[in-house]
Amino acid sequence: MKKSDRSIMPSPSSELKFTLPEVETFKLANALDVIFVKRSSLPILRVNLIINGGSNTDPIGKKGLANLFTMMIDEGAGGYNGLELMDEFDILGSSFDISCNNDGLYLGLRTLKENADRSIDLFSKIITAPHFDEISFAREKRKLHTRLMQLKDDPEEIASSVFEYTVFGKEDPYAFPSMGYENDISNVTVEDIKNFYRNYFVPNNSALIAVGDITKEELTEKLNKYLHKWEPKILDIEKYKCKTKETTGIYVIHKEDSVQSEIRIGHLSAKRDKRDIFQRTLLNNILGGQFSSRINLNLREDKGYTYGAFSRFNYFKDNAIFYVSTSVGIENTGKAVSEILKELNLIKEGVTEKELDFSKSSTIRKFPSNFETNRQVAYNLTTKYIYNLPDDYYDTYIDKIKAVSIEEINIAASEHVHPDKLSILVVGDKNKLIPQLKMITGDKITELDHLGKEVTAV
Amino acid sequence: MNILNLEYEKYKLNNGLEVILHQNDNHPLVSVNIWYKAGSSNERKGKTGIAHLFEHMMFQGSKNVPKEMHFRYIQEAGGTLNGSTNFDRTNYYEKVPSNFLELILWLESDRMGLLLPSLTQEKLNNQIDVVRNERLERYDNQPYGLAWEILINNLYPEGHPYSWPTIGYVADINSYTLTDVSDFFKAYYSPSNACLTIAGNFDKDNARKLVNKYFGDLKNNKIPEEVFVPPVELKENKLIIRKENVQLERIYMAWATEKAFDPLDSSLDILGDILSGSKNSRLYKSLVYDRELAQDISAYQFSGKYSGHFMIVATAKPGVKLAALKEEIFKELENVSENGITPREIFRSKNGIKSSFIYSMQNVESLADQLNYYNFYAGEPNSFNNDLTRYENVTSENIKECVNKYLKKNYVELQISPANGIEN
Repeated sequence: MKKSDRSIMPSPSSELKFTLPEVETFKLANALDVIFVKRSSLPILRVNLIINGGSNTDPIGKKGLANLFTMMIDEGAGGYNGLELMDEFDILGSSFDISCNNDGLYLGLRTLKENADRSIDLFSKIITAPHFDEISFAREKRKLHTRLMQLKDDPEEIASSVFEYTVFGKEDPYAFPSMGYENDISNVTVEDIKNFYRNYFVPNNSALIAVGDITKEELTEKLNKYLHKWEPKILDIEKYKCKTKETTGIYVIHKEDSVQSEIRIGHLSAKRDKRDIFQRTLLNNILGGQFSSRINLNLREDKGYTYGAFSRFNYFKDNAIFYVSTSVGIENTGKAVSEILKELNLIKEGVTEKELDFSKSSTIRKFPSNFETNRQVAYNLTTKYIYNLPDDYYDTYIDKIKAVSIEEINIAASEHVHPDKLSILVVGDKNKLIPQLKMITGDKITELDHLGKEVTAV
Repeated sequence: MNILNLEYEKYKLNNGLEVILHQNDNHPLVSVNIWYKAGSSNERKGKTGIAHLFEHMMFQGSKNVPKEMHFRYIQEAGGTLNGSTNFDRTNYYEKVPSNFLELILWLESDRMGLLLPSLTQEKLNNQIDVVRNERLERYDNQPYGLAWEILINNLYPEGHPYSWPTIGYVADINSYTLTDVSDFFKAYYSPSNACLTIAGNFDKDNARKLVNKYFGDLKNNKIPEEVFVPPVELKENKLIIRKENVQLERIYMAWATEKAFDPLDSSLDILGDILSGSKNSRLYKSLVYDRELAQDISAYQFSGKYSGHFMIVATAKPGVKLAALKEEIFKELENVSENGITPREIFRSKNGIKSSFIYSMQNVESLADQLNYYNFYAGEPNSFNNDLTRYENVTSENIKECVNKYLKKNYVELQISPANGIEN
């Protein structure tokens, strides 16, 4: 082969052949939805169980209940105490995980094919026969208290949770951190945990996703064998009631001697909607959704204020927020906020064809790599389930992205980015922050504590 | 195990560049992963952090690639990319749809050979600012964020290549000049000091041709001599006490041990797992679960090319004294040293390691990086099975030996406690 002419960028070698994994869905006798993808390239299997109902079901005064529930569910089940249960998983080289966000609980199992039967057995014990004993409850509660206390150390965590609290208007179910509050946790009883289980842990309020090296018949047989006692019932679940209030404000949370400031700027947003989800995705890509976005290139690669700056639409099942986040050296706080405001105004003047082409190209070509691991496939199926996306969502994904026009992006920008409705929140040393912010926003700055309660007018 | 036995081809170009090809057609993706045998251990006093800063400069464009376009070309192809620096090496990696392999080889070869023509003071100033912010974000502004830096600085003797942090000291970061950057490039970024791994869905003949086309004519430089590594031997225990803006007290202890792939290295990994790797591990169960003296605990072996150390870190529950935690930790170490560990414990650990090996095979990017890892540390890319065997062979006696040989020696202790907290 001849030596290269390096001045010419090589072009792709051929069209890529990619086929989406084939998805099968079926219902067990107990009304549990099963979503299954067979993948045999490695002898492993992932199983996820989604429970509808996460921390946005937490009652007033008991914020953090759903999360505390997740800490309890593997503390003993089916005759094994918490330690024995984990030992059984570990000895197989299997792992169990559980997490909780605003909209759901997510239980996960990872196992080798050779141990699939025993692992599903253990996984099912957690689902169908958790103990919820008082001693474990008291211990997990103490652990959570200490964890909540530690959160005061973490400026990123404080910024994110207080920002959501204020933007959602302090009363909406989405306004509160999943982890909850120390005072609220004290109010939670083991009876609350059991009630949560009775109300939400119901097969007809759940879906099970299985991805890996197993046949449909084997999977069905195992699920029937181990989950048959898990019975459906009529759901008595309160629907989400929106209590958002549109607010704007400039907030500072004091963190003494902080060498950086954590910045969050944004507002409430319309919930995810098939009408313009792809337009918003591409728009955010251009604005701040990836490394080569306007915001990151400006704040990082041009000004050097930060290690990274990003924007996102954070879609919950029934609501959404839009925000920009970054952390900067404290002396650059004012300048960074100004640049972000400038970008939010500028995007409303429209994007260029070149930007749109780039955004489309990267999104379309990246698509196959979203289906590489079992975890990724399960994640995509979870997304589809949680947002109730159409069956052909992934099949038509690329075509839908291709079809977006520049006019539609610009409409999305005018509908979903509102520089006049912003809340700006900064965590850092207030003595250094406030003078910088006043130059931009005037005197109306509110100081909040780490839970989002007003301290004093400054 | 068969699935851990990876077929590969390894060869060298005339300029010394090592090439590893591993074909895996599960997905239409290909990963390119380059390890340069240069890390923060190749730095000198007053210029700490230059290897990492240099990594940043590699994303700033090269002779035929304008600033910002390195990222943009790869993203436009639907790829992902990054790089990382540690004590021993710097790696750069991309994962792209398989039809874009040539683009990546073009980009990687351009910066391997032709970075300097595009270097400017403006780019350097900008990335110094970015790295300064990275340091603030990841270390200075994190609770307990400086612990690692303090520990290695006290454990490794003056001049030892692991005695300073990879991110570098602030004063040093501020001092880099264009000459520093180009000197580092000329010294270490030679084809003969790198290994290029391609893993995933590609045609081998075509890949060989493309590698030759883009890397074949790059010039080879003379690499500086290996770094000097003084022995790590603490004359006495060292105690460092530090006040910080945190809620809870935390204790760190670090002992000098062995380097990667030394005889007891895998046993030290298993010891870490048995002490803190699971709910039933010794220290977790007794200190966190049963007695609630600690909020969290971790014990692990760090092993590098030149040295290694074992570390135990525990956060005290409110009202618990660090001295009490420390006493319990030493009691357990003594117990292991006298009685060893049970067959079930060792079985559990080994099974965990085996299955995590298999799970990790799913991602072609981690596969490529692991091939480079083995090539660098073990001299053989296809070492998954050998590595697993190292763990399979660990016995209770080996674990006792780890404690007796290393964890009874002098150590560095760091205590971090709340600046305005309640005195215990």
